[in-house]
Amino acid sequence: MVKEATEPTNVNPFVPYPATLKDVTDLTPDVKLFTVVLDRAEDEFDYKPGQFAFVSAFGVGEAPFGLTSVAHRKEGLQFAIRRVGTVTNTLHQLEPGTKLGVRGPFGNFFPLDDYKGKNIFIVGGGIGFAPLRPVVNTLLDRRKDYGNILILNAARSPQDLCFRSECDDWGKAPNTKVELTVDAGDENWKGRVALAPDVVEELKPSPDNAISIICGPPIMIRFTLQRLKKLGFGDEQIVTTLEGKMKCGLGKCFRCNVGEIYVCRDGPVFTFEQISQFIEQF
Amino acid sequence: MTKVLGKKELESWLNSIMQERILVAPKRVDDLVLFTPVHSVDEIAFDFQNTTLSPKELFFPRTETLFTIVHKDGEIEFTPVTVDRETVLFGIRPCDARGIAILDGPYLSDPPDSLWAQHRDKTTLIGLACAKPAPQCFCTSMGSSPTDTSNVDILLTEVDDGYAVEIVTEKGEKLLQGAELKESDVKPSVPQCDASVPAEGIVDAVKRAFEDPYWSRLADRCIHCNICAYVCPTCYCFDIRDYKAGGKIERIRTWESCQSKGFSRIAGGYDPRANKGSRLRQRFCHKLLYFPEQFGPLGCVGCGRCVTACPVNIDIREIISDIQERGAQVGQRSN
Repeated sequence: MVKEATEPTNVNPFVPYPATLKDVTDLTPDVKLFTVVLDRAEDEFDYKPGQFAFVSAFGVGEAPFGLTSVAHRKEGLQFAIRRVGTVTNTLHQLEPGTKLGVRGPFGNFFPLDDYKGKNIFIVGGGIGFAPLRPVVNTLLDRRKDYGNILILNAARSPQDLCFRSECDDWGKAPNTKVELTVDAGDENWKGRVALAPDVVEELKPSPDNAISIICGPPIMIRFTLQRLKKLGFGDEQIVTTLEGKMKCGLGKCFRCNVGEIYVCRDGPVFTFEQISQFIEQF
Repeated sequence: MTKVLGKKELESWLNSIMQERILVAPKRVDDLVLFTPVHSVDEIAFDFQNTTLSPKELFFPRTETLFTIVHKDGEIEFTPVTVDRETVLFGIRPCDARGIAILDGPYLSDPPDSLWAQHRDKTTLIGLACAKPAPQCFCTSMGSSPTDTSNVDILLTEVDDGYAVEIVTEKGEKLLQGAELKESDVKPSVPQCDASVPAEGIVDAVKRAFEDPYWSRLADRCIHCNICAYVCPTCYCFDIRDYKAGGKIERIRTWESCQSKGFSRIAGGYDPRANKGSRLRQRFCHKLLYFPEQFGPLGCVGCGRCVTACPVNIDIREIISDIQERGAQVGQRSN
């Protein structure tokens, strides 16, 4: 997906595209949605749900983030970023108009074309919903191509639910249901209070002609996977996106490997059938 | 007939090289021998077994600016770093030359790392065959030999009255233009590297012994000092950071080692290799399993530097033997 270089030895693959921060919106107390626009029209790139890009805060560094926008909507590049480290702390303090850098897109993507005609069950936990948002938006933009869509958005608390207002809109699409759950409610929360894996068990999605796409903290993934398998989902029907320490995105720095695979180049999207074959298991 | 460069002729050839290019050669610094830019032949050490550090840093510097970032009139400007000066690396041993050649695997695979490619392009390698391999050497077990010409542009082998010259590439031929070569019937001796490490079939053995508690037990004594990665000619993992200097920002790449804590730690704190056993396994599996699966050759050239440098005697030669044995046992159990 990286643009073809005319003279490969002289094109430095680490130089990002110059970009400008257009908009910043609070999603939760520690997650913000950043909309970034590339400064030069010729740099614009196509990308698919599940792919990621590096965002540079100049003088501080760059870090990889899942692209949470969908390319065909042409709304700019969006990233949902949680404040957890040096780069993200800096990004959280930036105002619209700030110059940034973008390097990407990298990695593989959710093969949504292969899922046409299938029922889709999506489970996202916390910031783990960020790479799933473009999946939902792509499915809904091509609604008639897919069967029933069931979405579970889970978080520790009501205020930690990402994309909560969008969930209301998604639920209005035909044959589309959105469920929210939190580990612990508050005085205003009238919804479900339960752990994501327990809700999966309760919702009982049928594995027939279905694909489940899950992303969230490792502990949520582990138990959700167990429940899905109990419901009859095969490893090949469960898809996730892995996170790895990454410095290059180019298959060079060897920071993101899990055994012989590179998360950046071979992933980040894998089925659990693929993951179960990795020599190294995390 | 053998082409020979007499000691005096070698000296004047090296002197002429220094006029136009950077000459990097082994130099004695206290009790170390290090590749250093030299300005006179007197500075060059000829009587060494191998340099204390490998010459990989000529191609993959410990700290290297990838590009600079300047804010100008509200816009951002990037200036990529380019490698302009031609360099001649004199005195590289065949094992280290192999180390550089096998790193072309990751660095030149698509998309090529432009800085590595430029360093490679601008550097001519004059190899120096090993007269007497050191006790820790095991290059012949790793696909090379003391007189291996495969990965250098020119190979010099010491003979009585100078150096036998083998021209390997056009780049080497070009560099030798103007050198006073003479023909001689001298036959350079072929030194042997006797160490034998059972590397054949190690990829499969490592796969079978992947879950062996051996790795954790071995790692118990590792103090994650990272010296192994520091001296290794084929360790190439890196970090990228921003560095502010004056009014400009540099994006720099630095060496990193998989033995350091947090090497694989992701945002939010989860570290999939939090224990030393998994990190030690990562090091040896990268060299003996992942690298060969991805690029062909083993990620070790048998220079033996990690063997002598490790303060707690973690010895890759021993590991290869142990893993062969343990892998075979696992193979028997599962049959």
